[in-house]
This record gives sequence, structure tokens and C-alpha cells, in this order.
Amino acid sequence: MADGPTPASAEAREALKAAMARLADGDRSALEDIYRATRVKLFGICLRILGDRKEAEDALQDVYVNLWQRADRYDPTRASPISWLATFARNRAIDRLRTGKVRGGAVPVEEAAPLPDQAPLADSLLVDAEQTAQIHTCLEGLDENARGHIRAAFFDGKTYAELAETADVPLGTMKSWIRRGLQRLRACLEASE
Amino acid sequence: MSDENDMDGEDIKRDDPMLAAEFSLGLLEGEELLAARGKLASDPDFAWRKEWWDNWFAPWTDEISGAEPSADVWGEIEARVLAASGQEASGLDAANVVELQSKVRRWQWVSALTTAAAVAALALVVVPAGTETIPTPGATEAPQIAAADPLVAQVPIGDTGLRLDVTYMPESERMLVGAIGLTADGVHDHELWLVPADGSALQSLGVVTPGEVRSVTLPAEITQNMGSGVELVLTREPIGGKPVDQDAGPVVAQGAFTQV
Repeated sequence: MADGPTPASAEAREALKAAMARLADGDRSALEDIYRATRVKLFGICLRILGDRKEAEDALQDVYVNLWQRADRYDPTRASPISWLATFARNRAIDRLRTGKVRGGAVPVEEAAPLPDQAPLADSLLVDAEQTAQIHTCLEGLDENARGHIRAAFFDGKTYAELAETADVPLGTMKSWIRRGLQRLRACLEASE
Repeated sequence: MSDENDMDGEDIKRDDPMLAAEFSLGLLEGEELLAARGKLASDPDFAWRKEWWDNWFAPWTDEISGAEPSADVWGEIEARVLAASGQEASGLDAANVVELQSKVRRWQWVSALTTAAAVAALALVVVPAGTETIPTPGATEAPQIAAADPLVAQVPIGDTGLRLDVTYMPESERMLVGAIGLTADGVHDHELWLVPADGSALQSLGVVTPGEVRSVTLPAEITQNMGSGVELVLTREPIGGKPVDQDAGPVVAQGAFTQV
């Protein structure tokens, strides 16, 4: 997990950065390059959140159409292209969940879950090995309960209410657990910067 | 868990960085989500913190298995991009004209308020999607509006150069919403919301009609919240506006009233 980027992936990252810059300049062909390089990772994210291929493909379309329309939103000084794109895709997928296009329960969690959190496919770009190591270190500092629920929020797009229901605890209890975890997480991450 | 007593969720200070974390994780829904989205657009510190969390959480996506979408997805993206580009190209050519026209239109509204009734008579009547909307807590200190001075707001739509022009006339309690130059995409509607200055729930001002100026009489529970500086947000919704039992869609634009 903490292995440094291989030369091949460093090259892929540079190519992606260049394509993002071309896209911001209005070069439409850049979009296809970006799609080829990132679709596997971004579709994986949409599929994980939405749990339905059709919905995930619709979300994926939105991601790239939006990207084309608003390529200027990406700020290379704040995030790597793949980190930003991954966040963008996840946000779009969660938007779809929240706006009710996908009913929260349309796809049972059990059905969505079988996608294994195994090693990513070889051609999907990794975000950042160093950052990955740091957030994992900080997460280890949380109690297991908070960590588990924060993960479920991230990977399954669960709201406080849904997490509380799943865990069969009052909403306030769930908020306490997660907020306490987030507070510790923030302190740890800030200390690492 | 060490402290089983702290069960109200309020024992941890919910400052802006905490709210940003909750927003970034996707824990928020309903009004809280809408409020966070509004804050994102208006509060740079909050936007910075949201991105800070996003960047820390992003490596987690490396744990998610990749997956290959169907082969036809790219073709559909390309078709949508081409269609959007066609519209954009003609829009760009006319950008200056649109800008000028909307300025003129705004001044016409402001300077010709006596004819507003006539304009209103010509326009279709909007039924505020709002009869069901979000419940309003008891009225607190509503902003005071001096006499009959109208309020105007521009709500720019992204960086398209297009915008909504909203004019509210206290005298008649009528609001005009102009969405000229906007075109419907056939998939979404856009709903306009008032963001009461007292921090209470957003109030629906109805679904925007692309390409038209519409007039609507506002109920007292909304007019009491009207005032200079009061914000408006525009959300993207399914056709017909926010479904009763669902959360509002993403905020796509916002603006604020000023008195003229």
C-alpha cells in the first residue's frame, strides 16, 4: 500500500496532468485521453457508492460531461488530478443517492457489497502513496467503532441516519462516535502536515 | 467506547472543520446538506477545509476495486459533450448581447415598476412548488424592507454568462423571475429557494421556467423573510421540482437581493 509510485504510474500521472491542462484550454480531445486513463477507477467508485451498473454508468457520464463543462474548476496546486477526479466522481455518485434518483434502498446493501475491496485493477491510477500511508496511520489511532462507521460513510455513502439505523443505536450516539473520531482524525492529520 | 454517557451527539463541538468533514464524507442530508452547499459557495475558509478533507479521504478510493464501464458509455459522453459544445459556441457568440440585454431588462424592471402589473398579467402564473416545502420555524426578526423599494437579485449560472434576474416588489408582494437565455435540458428543472437571514429553513420560490419571465405572488411566510442581503440559491432537481419526500438537489447557483 505504501509503495512509492512506479515509474510507469508516475508517467501516467504526468500524462493525466497534461491532459487536464489541455482540457482547461478547451481541447476536447483531452477528454477522451482522460476518460481512457481514469474510467476504470472512477467507474469503480460510482459502482461502489451506487451499487447498480446502470446508475453508476449514468453517474460516470455526468462526471465526464461535467468535467468538460467545468474543467477550470480543477486547481492543480491543491490536488493531484486523480485525487480530484476521484473525489469528483464520488461526490457525483453521492449526489445521485441524495437527490433520490437512486432510492437509498433500491439496491440492497447486500447486493452492492460483494464488490471486493481488493487490489485495484492494474490500470487504475492510485491517488498518492504517501498520503495513503498517513491517513491509514491516523485511522489506526481511532477506536474501532468510530473507524468502522467513518469507513462505511465513505465507502457506502451512508448518512448519519442510515448508519444509526444499521447499528441500531440512537442518531445522537452515532453522531457522537463519528464526530469524536473525526476530531481525532483531524488532529492527527494536522500534526502530520 | 469509553464514555457511554455522551450520547447526544452534541458533546463534540461541531465547528466548521467538523461540518466540512461531515460534508466531505457525505454524511449530511436534507437541509443540512443544502446549507453546507450554500456555505461552500459563500465561505472560502469552509471551501478550503472541505477540500482539505477531500484530499485526505481521496486515497481511500485506492481501496475500491476498479471496474470497466460498458463500451457505449464513452459514445454517450461524446454525444452529450458535442451537443453542449454546439450550444456553448452559439452562446459565446452572443455573450455580449445577452449581457447587454439582461442589463437593459433589469433596468427596465426597476424603472418601470408601475407597469409591473401589466407584465405580470402577461406572464404565466407560477404555482410555487412551495406549498409542501420545508417547514418554517416561527418567524423571528424578519429583515425590514423600507417602504416599497423593490429588491433585485442576480443569480449567475456558473460561468455561462447567463443568469436569473429576480425582482421582488414589496408593494404588491409579487416576484418576477426572468430566466431568459436559459434552455431546458429535458432532464432537470431548477428550483429557486430563499435563504432566510435568520438561519431558518430554506423556502421554495418555485421552479424556474427557462426562456421566460414569470410572476408569482408570494405568501406572507415568505415575504416576511424578504430583505436586502437575503440570499437565493438555485438547485438542480428532477423535472417538476424537488419531490415532496426527497432532499433538495445540488446548489448550482446563488445570489443575493439588493435594494434599488
